[in-house]
Amino acid sequence: MSKNGGISLENLSVGYDNRALVSDICLAVKPGQIVTLIGPNGAGKSTILKSIIRELKLIDGVIMLSGKDSMSLKGEELAKELSMVMTERPRTELMTCREVVATGRYPYTGRLGILSEADWKIVDEAMELVGATDTAAQDFTRISDGQRQRVMLARAICQEPKILVLDEPTSFLDIRFKLDILSTIHKLARQRKIAVIMSLHELELVRGISDVIACVEGDHIGRIGRPDEIFTGGYIQRLYGIDEASFDEKTGMLILPKWED
Amino acid sequence: MVWNITAGSVDITMGQVWAILGRAEMDSTASRIIWDIRLPRMCAAIILGGALSVSGFLLQTFFQNPIAGPYVLGISSGAKLVVALTMIFLLGRGVTIGSIGMVAAAFVGSLIATGFVLAISLKTKNMSRLIICGILIGYICSAITDFCVTFASDSNIVNLHNWSLGSLSGMTWSNIRVMTIIVALALTVTFMLSKPIGAYGLGETYARGMGVNVKVLRTVIILLSSVLSACVTAFAGPISFVGIAVPHLVKVSTSTAKPIVLIPGCFLGGAIVTLLCDGIARTVFAPTELSISSVTAILLVPVVIVMMLRKGGARE
Repeated sequence: MSKNGGISLENLSVGYDNRALVSDICLAVKPGQIVTLIGPNGAGKSTILKSIIRELKLIDGVIMLSGKDSMSLKGEELAKELSMVMTERPRTELMTCREVVATGRYPYTGRLGILSEADWKIVDEAMELVGATDTAAQDFTRISDGQRQRVMLARAICQEPKILVLDEPTSFLDIRFKLDILSTIHKLARQRKIAVIMSLHELELVRGISDVIACVEGDHIGRIGRPDEIFTGGYIQRLYGIDEASFDEKTGMLILPKWED
Repeated sequence: MVWNITAGSVDITMGQVWAILGRAEMDSTASRIIWDIRLPRMCAAIILGGALSVSGFLLQTFFQNPIAGPYVLGISSGAKLVVALTMIFLLGRGVTIGSIGMVAAAFVGSLIATGFVLAISLKTKNMSRLIICGILIGYICSAITDFCVTFASDSNIVNLHNWSLGSLSGMTWSNIRVMTIIVALALTVTFMLSKPIGAYGLGETYARGMGVNVKVLRTVIILLSSVLSACVTAFAGPISFVGIAVPHLVKVSTSTAKPIVLIPGCFLGGAIVTLLCDGIARTVFAPTELSISSVTAILLVPVVIVMMLRKGGARE
């Protein structure tokens, strides 16, 4: 299956300093599919994503990108294959949003990194797609978190990846931006046949956007399946270790425990 | 725009010089002064000033810190120490070293000092602490240099002492040739790297995501900035603050942070500022010469302070 594009993690173990945090990960994302990682803080969602983008060395196993071993790719080849939006913000100095988006064209430009007309057109299209056109001329450090996330997504898009990796793309955003970013991601996956793998904390949104959910449960992946297979039988409450409050599996709503005087 | 101001001030200090250049015979004393003293000195100011500020720009990129520079991080002083030791050692045995030897010694010194700074930067992520450590390393190196100079055989003390304060005097054409080659090479490589340097500026994760080999790039940046600042120290001694302040001035005046603009901009800016400062150092109390670092400090430290105050709000 991995030969047909997308990304597949085969018996992957990831972690820091040669110590495995999550082991035996087997997961495949086909082009056009969205796979979401959920699980408690510190379970290793980000570690998995950081390993996929090669920020962390793999401890064991293989990552196949469009049928090729990711480790065998050169930096620029990888960059054309995969792009990401991580929680860490880029440091920018005197850069407009349009210029930040334009950094996504890096793997495609020449030695001095000068963008052609065609490159700029791709940049502008990407900004339009995420709805960030009105911020194009503004300084990247002076826009709101929501707008910044749109710009970061546009940047990832104009890198023209086959695989998109997003680490908590909706954190710190208000509901309008959360919905907005996720629906853009949805559209991208379907229209451009991009394989999307991301981590999310908003369980109420996970259900709607994911084709497959993978639950990171401490040192292994607890369950992988369609949303209706995961949101059942009180599994989510066990995954997050929620005792007192409760989680509504149909709506994704969280209910605080009642306090009685 | 800045160029005009500087060109003007250099013009004034060397008003008669230009006139002489036009019509002088090769043998007149005045033309000697110009050809053998002033012109090489001007060239040195341009080349070394430019080199210094590009070196500062590279260090600022590397440490992601706007107040990094070869002087504050103690790299210039490290280079100075090794050069002084080498000179004393060799001169004591009656051997004179050429300019390439000086550069090599300075390069070793700056690499050692950079090594220390890097080791510290692994221990602390706090940028102000890093800078303080750099300044302290600088003090230690200067102190040791002073000791050595004091106990060196007296014939060369005067020379060495002048040099250790930083001065562009006594340049010869052969010096110029060597520094031109080194600086031109380092500068070309730096310019060719402006694309990955720009990506690195966004942060390591993103640079890697764009396909930059971050490890190699970091090593190259450090080597280049060491070569450049070593070259400056070998020929002119430590010149303070040009490396920190000029990249910032260039950023403000061009209102961009793109390396492809900044690298040539820094070179030009550094050349102009150094030329101006050297002009002042030479002429204000003529015939007594000021050390160039005194002039650069007076002119550029306010820039650095303003910069720190402004950045302080935005970061940490």
